[in-house]
Amino acid sequence: MRPLTEEETRVMFEKIAKYIGENLQLLVDRPDGTYCFRLHNDRVYYVSEKILKLAANISGDKLVSLGTCFGKFTKTHKFRLHITALDYLAPYAKYKVWIKPGAEQSFLYGNHVLKSGLGRITENTSQYQGVVVYSMADVPLVGSHSIIKTTRTLCLFET
Amino acid sequence: MSKKRRGEFSDFHSPAKKIIKVQKNEGSTAFLTMRSKPSSVMESPHLIQQVAQKTPHNSITPKSPNITDFDHQKFKNIFFQTSGLETTKNRNSISDDDIDSEDELRLMIAREENLEKTTWSANEFENDPFEVVRDDFKSDFHKFHTSIGLGLKNSVSCLNSENNVMENGCDSDSGDTDEIVAMKKSSGKIENGVDFSQREKSVDKKTYLKNRKKYDLSDGCVKEQKRKNKVEIALSHRVKPLSCKSLIESSSSEDAGSVSESTECEGDKEYNTLMGNCLRVNLTLADLEQLAGSNQEAPKEKTESNGQETTAKHDKASKSQRTPGDLRRGQQCIHPEEIVASLLEGGENPRGKQKPKENTLKPKFQAFKGVGCLYGKESVKKSLQESVASNNINKDQISLKLEEPRNMSMGKWSLCANGLSNEQTPFQHGKEANDANQIQPQKRQSFASQSHKVVSPNSSEKRNRNPISSLLPLKDKKSLSCGAKTPSRGLDEDCCHRTGQSGEGSERRPDLCSSQAPEKPPEVFSRRDSQGSKPDFPLPVNSSSDVNAKDKHAEDNQKRLAALEARQKAREVQKKLVHNALANLDGHPEDKPTHIIFGSNSESETEEISTREQSHPGEELVKESMGRASGKLFDSSDDEESCSEDDNNRFRIKPQFEGRAGQKLMNLQSHFGTDDRFRMDSRFLESDSEDEHEEINEKKTAEEEELAAEKLKALNVVQSVLQISLSNSTSKGSVAAKKFKDIIHYDPTRHDHATYERKQDDKPKESKAKRKKKREEAEKLPEVSKEMYYNIATDLKQIFQTVKDTSEKEDNTPWNEDSDGEKAEVVQDTPALMTRDEQTGGFTFSFFESDAKDEKEETYRVEAVKPGKIAWQGDPRFQDSSSEEEDVTEETDDKKQSPEEVSLPEKETTRFFFFSKNDERLHGSDLFWRGVGSNISRNSWEIRTNNLRMDCRKKHKDAKRRVKPK
Repeated sequence: MRPLTEEETRVMFEKIAKYIGENLQLLVDRPDGTYCFRLHNDRVYYVSEKILKLAANISGDKLVSLGTCFGKFTKTHKFRLHITALDYLAPYAKYKVWIKPGAEQSFLYGNHVLKSGLGRITENTSQYQGVVVYSMADVPLVGSHSIIKTTRTLCLFET
Repeated sequence: MSKKRRGEFSDFHSPAKKIIKVQKNEGSTAFLTMRSKPSSVMESPHLIQQVAQKTPHNSITPKSPNITDFDHQKFKNIFFQTSGLETTKNRNSISDDDIDSEDELRLMIAREENLEKTTWSANEFENDPFEVVRDDFKSDFHKFHTSIGLGLKNSVSCLNSENNVMENGCDSDSGDTDEIVAMKKSSGKIENGVDFSQREKSVDKKTYLKNRKKYDLSDGCVKEQKRKNKVEIALSHRVKPLSCKSLIESSSSEDAGSVSESTECEGDKEYNTLMGNCLRVNLTLADLEQLAGSNQEAPKEKTESNGQETTAKHDKASKSQRTPGDLRRGQQCIHPEEIVASLLEGGENPRGKQKPKENTLKPKFQAFKGVGCLYGKESVKKSLQESVASNNINKDQISLKLEEPRNMSMGKWSLCANGLSNEQTPFQHGKEANDANQIQPQKRQSFASQSHKVVSPNSSEKRNRNPISSLLPLKDKKSLSCGAKTPSRGLDEDCCHRTGQSGEGSERRPDLCSSQAPEKPPEVFSRRDSQGSKPDFPLPVNSSSDVNAKDKHAEDNQKRLAALEARQKAREVQKKLVHNALANLDGHPEDKPTHIIFGSNSESETEEISTREQSHPGEELVKESMGRASGKLFDSSDDEESCSEDDNNRFRIKPQFEGRAGQKLMNLQSHFGTDDRFRMDSRFLESDSEDEHEEINEKKTAEEEELAAEKLKALNVVQSVLQISLSNSTSKGSVAAKKFKDIIHYDPTRHDHATYERKQDDKPKESKAKRKKKREEAEKLPEVSKEMYYNIATDLKQIFQTVKDTSEKEDNTPWNEDSDGEKAEVVQDTPALMTRDEQTGGFTFSFFESDAKDEKEETYRVEAVKPGKIAWQGDPRFQDSSSEEEDVTEETDDKKQSPEEVSLPEKETTRFFFFSKNDERLHGSDLFWRGVGSNISRNSWEIRTNNLRMDCRKKHKDAKRRVKPK
């Protein structure tokens, strides 16, 4: 368990910033306490200071996880978001996509969302913009995705 | 349901329909129908026999079948009621019979409600054996009551009555239909009373009771009718049909049992009810036995003649084997031989108990009638009833009607007599015993509805009174009493016995029997009915068996009464307890010692008290308690003072808990609680703690610094990623801003807080002064230029004189000179006029001609009006508000300045009737009028609109085109 290096931080922040933009700083600099990112087993955890101190008492090899896992670094040092980060990304998401109930299940099974399945979308959503997918009941769905707009199909690619 | 039933009622006219309906009903109803039909068939012979027996003197046998038919129909109706589905109809039909007297009954209802409740409850008890029926009745009654209101019931009853009458008429083969109808009417009256009682019951929601009551009432009515009929029998056939009806009722139940064993159960129930009635009758019979002892022969014959019927009934009853007492009674009563034996044997027994009373009562035969009255209503109106009874005997129908009111009175009496129940004579006991069989259930019901005491005592008391007080009015009263009180018990049986007795020849006897011979009436009858001793025999037989039952019943009644008293006592005790408790709450010092009052100071006090108590356990407790209470209530001042001191000590700021070390101590203290032994003093303060804290803080700060550094790094990365300049200071500042800072409380005494004071400018004062000045200025009248004034010529005549004069005036111009020539304008005016006149050669006033002349002569001056004159500036008084002072002053300044600015140069323009050419005032009005060139403007407007439309369309199309490719 160690703090992220500057490069790692940058990679991760670039990824997260695709979805929440400048709201990223709200994650880093929280008014309600001190939170930090920790790397453990190639996974990035978003930990509060309190938990961090408590976790310091546990040897690294025995520690499975702490805080909230935001994602993991691949061997190629790319950053992949995990579903657990959705709770932190969804509130800050700048661009959102709402999917109709009919297409919801199809989407959850990994299929693309057709334009017909699109219930709502934040205006000015550009191509390849990272979005958080909501159901019509404002429930954030699996993962966050970048949007690819073709003539007929709106593809949400999980990043 | 009511409507359907009503419709069914219409169908009811034909008995076949009834049967069909019955068939529609469940098997039970079918049984009932079967019973009713066969019973009718069977009954007819029985009835005939009964009638023959009853009315041996009167060859009523041919009539009896008709009567039987009526009875059968009624019974059928009753059975239907029992069946449940159409029972309501049947009831209605029963009630219909009563309908004729419904109005009277309604009136009576209110009176009788109470009485009926009591009496009916007794009657209901009698009907108890009809449990199945009860259930059906309940439902039916419920339906009735729920579905149909009283009026509806009445209407239904009317319909039913009509139907019944029709049916009766149809059924009645003999030409006695009129009599039958009359009988029905009379019975209907009685039934009406029953119905009323039923209605009342229904009001009470005692459907069971109501059903039972209906039966009882019907029985009672029948009995009464029978009695009356009996009386009438001598007088008229009507009496016979009534008796026949009663007989039919009894016979119908009996017949039903005989017809089908399966139906026997129901019949048994009916029989049981009848038997219960018989039991009462037996009691009376027992009394009668004694009386009959002298007149044994005649009753024996009667009993024998009746015995066949009664035996059949008794056999059925025996088959049913109701309560042993009932069986005994029924059997005893039924079998003439047994009855005779019982009379002979049991007559002695009852005599032993009841003889004295009976003897006393016997002389009061009329009192028996009174007894009948006593049952419910007659007791009160004994004398009246007696007289009425005499009348009734002659006028059975009337008596029937009267009986109802009597019943009412009886009910009243019963209410009054409630207290007398305990005082019941053996007769009463016997009656009670009889009643007890039936009354016990009645009491049960009555318990539900009313108090046990009232009901039981009513019956007993009524009976007692009846025999005692109303012995004389015997017959009618008896019949009435039978109808009212005892009808429920043994009306059927009584009817049987009565019929038998009536057959024996003594109308009074049946009446007595019908009066249920409870005790005294039979005795009285026996005495009076020396000839009617025969009916008495069965009665005594019944009485012998009944004596035991009576004793049991009496015991039961006594037990019940005792239980009731115990309940009341318990209630009273509870009430007392509650009262005492409440009274104690008000604060008797004595009571307080029992209460432990926990107070803030209670610990020490309690300790002290405990010690004291140990020393002086008994005496001081009270004192201490007193002291506590008094001390807490009134002497609390001392305690309060001490408390206040303690509190002050408690709430003083403790220096040892100040600071971080103090906080640590505080935590320790909190671990120990409030135990005095572990109070943390300043001694426990650790001098080193602060240093440790500092070190810890330093460590913490170090960690925090690390984290902060990390955060800074992260933020920097964020900046680089987002390519946004994030100032940490802003973030920190934002955080700090979000944190809640202590609010500075403004303290005017502190000089530091002067900065928070809002300094008042001196301007407002100045403004006030200015405003005052302005006000004054505004108030000042505008200065009128003295340069202009109008000189009014005193001699208008001269001015407006004719042309001639003017010409003359021209010559005489000097008048102008005479006027003050100080001001040129005035002078100018007059010459102008003069000139006009001169030109026109005479004065003519016209607006238009004067234009040219006036234009040049007078000029219109455009002047700015001074602000002070303008009204809309508002009243200066409204400018008081300090906040607006400055603004107002500014405004006023502006206004002041404005006149100077506005002061427009006077323009001389030609004047045309208040307006001059090129008048500035008319410039704005160009918008409102259109000159000659309106067509031009219209054309231009159209062209413009077309152009605009084209442009809009173009733009719209362009926009569409742009949108589409995307």
